[in-house]
Amino acid sequence: MHNSLEKTGIPTTAEVDAAFPPAERLAKGPVAVIECFQRIPCNPCATSCPRGAILPFADINDIPEINYEACNGCTLCLTKCPGLAIMVVDMTWKDKSGLDRAVIKLPYEFRPLPVVGDDVVALDRAGNFVAMARVVSVLLNHSMNKVPIVSIAVDKQLVPIVRSIRVDVRQRAVVCRCNDLDEAEISAYITGGTTSIEELKRITRLGMGPCQGRNCVPIALGMLSRALGLPIDELEPATYRPSVKSIALGDLAKYDDRGDGLP
Amino acid sequence: MIHTDLLICGAGPAGLCAAIEAGAAGADVLVLERGHAPGGQLVKQTHMFFGSEKQYASYRGFDISDILVAQMSEMPNIRLICDATVLAAYDDGVFAAEIAGKYEKIRPRATVVATGASEKPLLFPGNDLPGVYGAGAVQTLMNQYGIRPAGRVVMLGAGNIGLIVSYQLLQAGVDVLVVCDGAPKIGGYLVHASKLARMGVPIMTSHSVKRAEGEGKVEKVTLWELDKNWQGIAGTEKIFAADTLCVAVGLSPLSELLWQAGCEMLYVPALGGYVPYRDAQLSTSIPGIFVAGDVAGVEEASSAMVTGRLAGLAAAGFLGLDIIALEAKKEDCLAQLHSLRHGHGGKILDGIQQALLDTNNKGDEHA
Repeated sequence: MHNSLEKTGIPTTAEVDAAFPPAERLAKGPVAVIECFQRIPCNPCATSCPRGAILPFADINDIPEINYEACNGCTLCLTKCPGLAIMVVDMTWKDKSGLDRAVIKLPYEFRPLPVVGDDVVALDRAGNFVAMARVVSVLLNHSMNKVPIVSIAVDKQLVPIVRSIRVDVRQRAVVCRCNDLDEAEISAYITGGTTSIEELKRITRLGMGPCQGRNCVPIALGMLSRALGLPIDELEPATYRPSVKSIALGDLAKYDDRGDGLP
Repeated sequence: MIHTDLLICGAGPAGLCAAIEAGAAGADVLVLERGHAPGGQLVKQTHMFFGSEKQYASYRGFDISDILVAQMSEMPNIRLICDATVLAAYDDGVFAAEIAGKYEKIRPRATVVATGASEKPLLFPGNDLPGVYGAGAVQTLMNQYGIRPAGRVVMLGAGNIGLIVSYQLLQAGVDVLVVCDGAPKIGGYLVHASKLARMGVPIMTSHSVKRAEGEGKVEKVTLWELDKNWQGIAGTEKIFAADTLCVAVGLSPLSELLWQAGCEMLYVPALGGYVPYRDAQLSTSIPGIFVAGDVAGVEEASSAMVTGRLAGLAAAGFLGLDIIALEAKKEDCLAQLHSLRHGHGGKILDGIQQALLDTNNKGDEHA
């Protein structure tokens, strides 16, 4: 039945068409498109949907069925599907550039992440070049199960074709050398709602490496300030805790409270 | 001689779940783990798991490991020792282990063998060249030790391991030139295959490796098409300039301890090789020896967790411990296993049916 899919992993046009919501629903706003063609024991899409739009399974091997009227394209299921088989399509996206584009929201588990405004390579289901696409949003937060969601704007006619992106490697702008965090990742967290330095620290370990924030905290504060439109002095400052540099546990153990300890 | 209620061999997903269930029932549990840390294969699984909530679907493998280890750590009656390999099972019920470099003997009242499985090798010219790896080894290097293990990879095997490791190689910035499989169809989940396809990785079914070549290391991998009898077809060779050939052609149960203990064994290809006869509650033919996870038959980690729970409950029952709603808990495990298994075209279920001890087992009601 899925001859091509079973041999190559590439679904046929007919299979993809069948997975798409009807045109009338697409015209109403963002909606999930589920490309899950095989019975496998997996149900998190259905159990995670807060609106019950993915119908409950009678059997864990069921193929998901979606009630398009209940789905509002929230993207939660994108971060729960272990097969990364779900995307959200928004044919009603307001294209301020005057082009006739729609937005596709894709789960994207690769690094580097793109940055909003980047032009990335849009790929079809076989990994072939389709067009360049503009990145309009990159989201990542602690509730997203480490699944970033990249939204790209593509010509409406290409919506049934595009299913992936390739981010051409460019010079990374490093925010935190100790924990290897770049601008794209931090910016995705900020866009995803992580808007204080303390939250960034807890999620990414920014500021918790050997430099203890000397390099990264000023940069991150600058990024937060620009993203939130607030001057740095109105942002919550970072908390500084002992010690200011790494010391060996053995040095602590050698401490003797009795003498003055000076050589 | 160490005395314990329950010895668990292996702290992978099955062993951890067995320990948690038996520990909750009040058993004094000793878990011996060969590796430096608990978690088994879970710790290198960076992808989200399938299954349902009960098997932590959507969680990533290493997060599941943390959850299970945390649950276990709350029970003072469970003792976990790492760097401890169970060496032998003697027919008088005594086990031997190397624990922190010392030989020890253990006399448990019951045992759960949850030793897992090892990667199957493949015979082809050049298979001893540096650069020929098991896919699991590559995954360990990459996800556990943080080493970029390869530059340009040919993956042999389009089962779930081959597909998942290929995807993780891409995530690590490694080129995956091709995924091939001797079978005419992709064996792993098609959603995994589609993830690779849309990143531009070609998948070639009915293809296998003819040979690997190179000066002291892999430099070239030749694939060829297989006919219906799995024989290579001359003239269909395709050459790839790869530095690594990953072999992901399946796993076989690590069943040495079961053989030594005298368990009745059976060769079941659908379960990966020799597996013990067992009843529906995972008791082997030797009373007091239970099995869980891949050693009982190679399946997904989700099933390994459930078989671990079931074996832990059964072992606690064998020890005579009072367990609230024991039968209901076992039934729940059996129901979970049935739903996880019957989606695979029945192959696993058929295999397990063959290996079932001829008792009035409870598994039948679900089968």
